[in-house]
Amino acid sequence: MTDVHGAVDAVWKLESARIIAGLMRLVRDVGRAEELAQDALLAALERWPAEGVPDNPGAWLTTVAKRRAVDEMRRAERQERTQRHLARELDLPAEEETGPRPDDVLRLVFISCHPVLPTEGRVALTLRVIAGLTPAEIARAFLVTEPEIGRRIAAAKQTLSEAGAAFELPTGDDLRQRLASVLEVVYLIFNEGYAATAGDDLIRPGLCLEALRLGRLLAELAPDEPEVHGLVALIEIQQSRSAARTGPGGEPVPLPEQNRGLWDQLLIRRGFSALLRARAAGGPAGPYVLQAAIAVCHAQAGSAADTDWARIAGLYEALERLLPTPVVRLNRAVAVGRAHGPRAGLDLLDGLSADPQLRDYHLLPGVRGDLLERLGRPGEARREFERAASLTGNAAERAFLRRRADRLPAASEGPALGAAVRDFLGGDGHSPATLRAYGQTLHRIRRSAGDRAPLADLTAARVAEVFATAWPDASARTWNRHRSAVRAFGAWAGRPGLADALDRRAEPPAARRTAPDLDAVLAGPEVALRERVLWRLLHESAAPVGAVLALNVEDLDLDDRRAQVPGTRRWVTWRSGTARLLPELVAGRTRGPLFLADRRPGPARTPADGDLCPDTGRRRLSYERAEYLCKRVTGGSLGQLRSSGRTTRETPSRTPTSVPAG
Amino acid sequence: MRYLMTTKADDQQPDAQLYADMAAFVEELTAAGVLLATGGLAPEGIRMVSAGDEITVTDGPFTEAKEVVAGFALVEVRSKDEAIELGRRFRRIVGDGESVIQQVFGPQ
Repeated sequence: MTDVHGAVDAVWKLESARIIAGLMRLVRDVGRAEELAQDALLAALERWPAEGVPDNPGAWLTTVAKRRAVDEMRRAERQERTQRHLARELDLPAEEETGPRPDDVLRLVFISCHPVLPTEGRVALTLRVIAGLTPAEIARAFLVTEPEIGRRIAAAKQTLSEAGAAFELPTGDDLRQRLASVLEVVYLIFNEGYAATAGDDLIRPGLCLEALRLGRLLAELAPDEPEVHGLVALIEIQQSRSAARTGPGGEPVPLPEQNRGLWDQLLIRRGFSALLRARAAGGPAGPYVLQAAIAVCHAQAGSAADTDWARIAGLYEALERLLPTPVVRLNRAVAVGRAHGPRAGLDLLDGLSADPQLRDYHLLPGVRGDLLERLGRPGEARREFERAASLTGNAAERAFLRRRADRLPAASEGPALGAAVRDFLGGDGHSPATLRAYGQTLHRIRRSAGDRAPLADLTAARVAEVFATAWPDASARTWNRHRSAVRAFGAWAGRPGLADALDRRAEPPAARRTAPDLDAVLAGPEVALRERVLWRLLHESAAPVGAVLALNVEDLDLDDRRAQVPGTRRWVTWRSGTARLLPELVAGRTRGPLFLADRRPGPARTPADGDLCPDTGRRRLSYERAEYLCKRVTGGSLGQLRSSGRTTRETPSRTPTSVPAG
Repeated sequence: MRYLMTTKADDQQPDAQLYADMAAFVEELTAAGVLLATGGLAPEGIRMVSAGDEITVTDGPFTEAKEVVAGFALVEVRSKDEAIELGRRFRRIVGDGESVIQQVFGPQ
């Protein structure tokens, strides 16, 4: 014979929900009902040791509690009658009717999970009245003090009493909302047990079991609700992995690395059949059904490699539409990273990094680290794992993340080509034009040699190969520009020999220097219209600077995009870029210099008539001034802009055109 | 934790009432999320004995029928006391006889 205390406790845990639910029919107040049930339990502890455990202990407890309730009511009734001389019959149930009605436990669940209660109150009260746990047991499970749990339960009862929460079965839209509140409590209890957020144990199995029992109970009580079965399926299958998800040291083992032989097939099959019941109940798949379907996908895969990640990614996409929480989006990124490659996963993750809700969520850097590691960026991955370790409150998980970080080399030991190029281009000290030029060259090498290839594997011979296939017909200048990009990158990366297999090609002497990139320069907002036209025209026409500055408005043939240089037989022609800008610069003028100085000339300096604008009185823009402005903004000379033009349509002339004096 | 309860065969012939009571009991425990699996076992088992390299296979039934397991129930409970309480209820339904409850190692 085991000790009676143990028996009483066992009976209580198995029966408390039904006892309290039955009492609710009498007293309509969950606090009072629970007190009455507790009193009956005390009576059992007094009498069972001597009398033995009764044949039907649940019924015994219910009878004792109800008798007490009826006695109290009779007393109250008598008082009332005496005071008010009222003669009202008290409607009391027959004493044999001890059991609750079939739905009473469900009504009680709706009460203990009532939306008027804060979540922690709902959880504590549900574990108290439905699962029959003592405040001490609840406190241990949640790592808070017993008085704190007592306070939460008392506050919950008070709130329910004040709100007049009805002992009823909600219907219609109300049912959806109330049921969601119930399912949330069950899942929260499960998760607190499954992914212990604090403390040294990764799993607190007691809470998982409570959640499973609550869920299974709900599935019988509300068999037509697909989400109830979805939740049950989800937690059955998650629980099926409990033996596999921690290693010998208590550290977490990620799902792909788990020993599937340790998965509990009994629970998996229960999960499958729960999901089938959910599907049979009909309706569109809700959040729990979708999550259960994801869990089923994992359970069905014979090995991690067999996992249908594309389907899982699709299910997460559907889930995100219903439940766009950061955590769901994070999980979707994981699935996409598996289905469509780490790059795709990382892209989804990048949108999440700014989410304040995830700022201190250790799984975000944990997932990032995993994706980065698979992308061949161990240095960054290491940093992410270290960050994740510092964020988690769970000791076993922290140790696991630290080990993952330590396994990876530090950034300098072996970066991948792609990461190295990104770092190089992201560094300081490059002008926009240089950045663009370097980027073009290095992007091609990355594409050809492989983004994830270790930088150490990139040889001068491989670079030469890339050059030969990518730029077989490049001009000497282009070739040399690509070559200098490789030299700069090699020098930066500690690989100075990277361009050794590339011969430097002889360039025409006129174009020794690299031209500033006109598009990049003109993209700046601070460049005035006059400069934009002048530089664009020089670039497109490749005409001598003096000839362009000598142009007059009356010489322009806007339709044919050309102008004759005054006093010569030289034609300057341009293309669409200049053509778009010219009308604005001309701005209705009919004659006089095309390019004008900002100010009128002083009285001492009177230019020739041809160099003055008849409308504004301003003189022709001087070479010196134009050159000065160009150098200030682009860093290069007007001549370089000119020589960067790809075509020359001018007729070469040895005669310098007249250049107006500054 | 999980417990396996095995029940030895007995001479009684189950009547309709016993079937009905057992069905209700099984349904209740399943609904409560306690009963994971249950079943009755055929009396004519196959006995297998290995000794050295020899494995002897003998078809039943066997004379010592009282020792043969006739049924089992796998339950998931919080404690040994809960398993005992469930066993107590079961024994009350089936009447005279004998069951054995053993904890199943594995998932806690």
